[in-house]
Amino acid sequence: MRESKIMLLQYLTGLFILVLGTFHMLLLSVLAPTSNKVLYQYSSPTNHTLIGGTLYYSTVTAIYHTLLWGSIFELLLTFLVFHIFNGFRIILSEQFPGAKAEKIITYSMLIIGLIIFIWGSRTIVLMLLQGGI
Amino acid sequence: MELVLKGFGEVVKTVTFRVRRYDPEKKEMPKYMEYKVPVQKGMTVLDGILYIKEHLDPSLAARYSCRMGICGSCAMIINGKERLACQTQILELNKDLIKVDPLGNYDTVKDLVPDLSKLFKNHESVKPYIVREETEPYGEYLQLPEEREKYALFTECIMCGACLSACPTMATDDLYLGPQALAQAYRYIADSRDAGFNERLNLLDSKHGVWRCHFAGACSEVCPKGVDPALAIQLLRGVLSKNIFIKYKQNPAKLGPERASIKEVL
Amino acid sequence: MAIENKKGWISWFNPIKYGFDRWLFAMHRFTGIVIGLYLMAHVFETSNILRGPLTWNNVMVFLDWPFGIHFGPYILSALLLVVVFHALNGLRLTIVENGLMLVKPYRPEYPYKPKSLAGWNFALKIVLGILMIVISIFGIVYIFTGVIL
Repeated sequence: MRESKIMLLQYLTGLFILVLGTFHMLLLSVLAPTSNKVLYQYSSPTNHTLIGGTLYYSTVTAIYHTLLWGSIFELLLTFLVFHIFNGFRIILSEQFPGAKAEKIITYSMLIIGLIIFIWGSRTIVLMLLQGGI
Repeated sequence: MELVLKGFGEVVKTVTFRVRRYDPEKKEMPKYMEYKVPVQKGMTVLDGILYIKEHLDPSLAARYSCRMGICGSCAMIINGKERLACQTQILELNKDLIKVDPLGNYDTVKDLVPDLSKLFKNHESVKPYIVREETEPYGEYLQLPEEREKYALFTECIMCGACLSACPTMATDDLYLGPQALAQAYRYIADSRDAGFNERLNLLDSKHGVWRCHFAGACSEVCPKGVDPALAIQLLRGVLSKNIFIKYKQNPAKLGPERASIKEVL
Repeated sequence: MAIENKKGWISWFNPIKYGFDRWLFAMHRFTGIVIGLYLMAHVFETSNILRGPLTWNNVMVFLDWPFGIHFGPYILSALLLVVVFHALNGLRLTIVENGLMLVKPYRPEYPYKPKSLAGWNFALKIVLGILMIVISIFGIVYIFTGVIL
């Protein structure tokens, strides 16, 4: 019974990632709080110093410091970590079938997933705190 | 050139059959051997293999029986795709080199003979029969034609084993049930006479059950009878997904009148 | 005595004889693995934002001009294609793999073309394919020039 619930979550997180990921992509381009929506704005074509653009430090921190976008990123991270590491678990358990391998695969995917989740959440939470909520 | 098959006309050309040979008595790796086979119009790959056995190499082993595409014995990989050897015309392949391999994802017993015990074991584990509470029905179960249409497509399976050979999940996962067993599980769950959904549920919903199918559709592409097992598996997944929220209820068909009580033709 | 004849995962990349859907499965799995590995690197890369503006801007410039070659936009475009394919194919699979928009069981007729791959499934492939091409064009133009069409 449990596998069908796990797969339902896989499909649902996939759909949510589609929506939230589109927001993330739009945030970098169309909805960015700069006038010039280019990704990298250099001071001159030969000198590789960034002075603006949607990936410039001040643009990115302006987005990360808001509670709305911070929580969207956190949600996106949660759904992504589940979807990706469940997907890896499925792929690996098909390559190495068997009860013992199954246990090793599930636990290792769980641990690695938690590490990624904690590292990403640390970034998001610290950015929110630095900006002052 | 001699006539290979009486009544089939002139020999059109000569093709080369490259057949994978393996002898279980010798401790060698499988190797390919080539045979030159004269082809008449209408000759199938099975006719070619029988020509090799009769004139060139009697030690070639292959399974075949009805030679008309209904028994499912002669499934093998011909030029990269699983087909029935008796249903594949050599001239329609449009090649001068015909590569013949035994079915993949099964153990090879000898030459072109696969060990189909995995297919039968998986099929059996899915309980491929009507499951009811009563043990001895005294009459027939009543079923409308519309109810039969819901699963009639999946009754055409001849258990040739081609689908398990084509399935990409089966290529790596030994414990996967396989498209044949899953399609037959759906055939019984969708049958209005059946009451055994809960008995099959644990096996289907397991880690190597229905959810390891990824809808590559290769099983339906190679099925020689057009059974479309991919459709059965996706419909089965629909049933299992809905079952998470609303329990799937089967309404098993009622029994008809007792046979002994029918005195006259109605 | 009988010898194993497993095809192995390498057979996923020889789907020429089997049809379009088996190829879509192989690509979906491949793009999934690529995106998974990319995301793990991405989480570590974006944590550089905590190290201040100089480090962050240097990292960004390095990703745009790795080792002095203007390779960044090509990497981003490849990533865009991979993500869009996986997302749109995943959307199609979410619909079809849960029993929705499937053709009803039929009676097979020679030459036995499977209808589960035709019908709405085929329409979804066409529509999502066109959508993928359109989004990719918009995206690649934006990545290289910064112009939103």
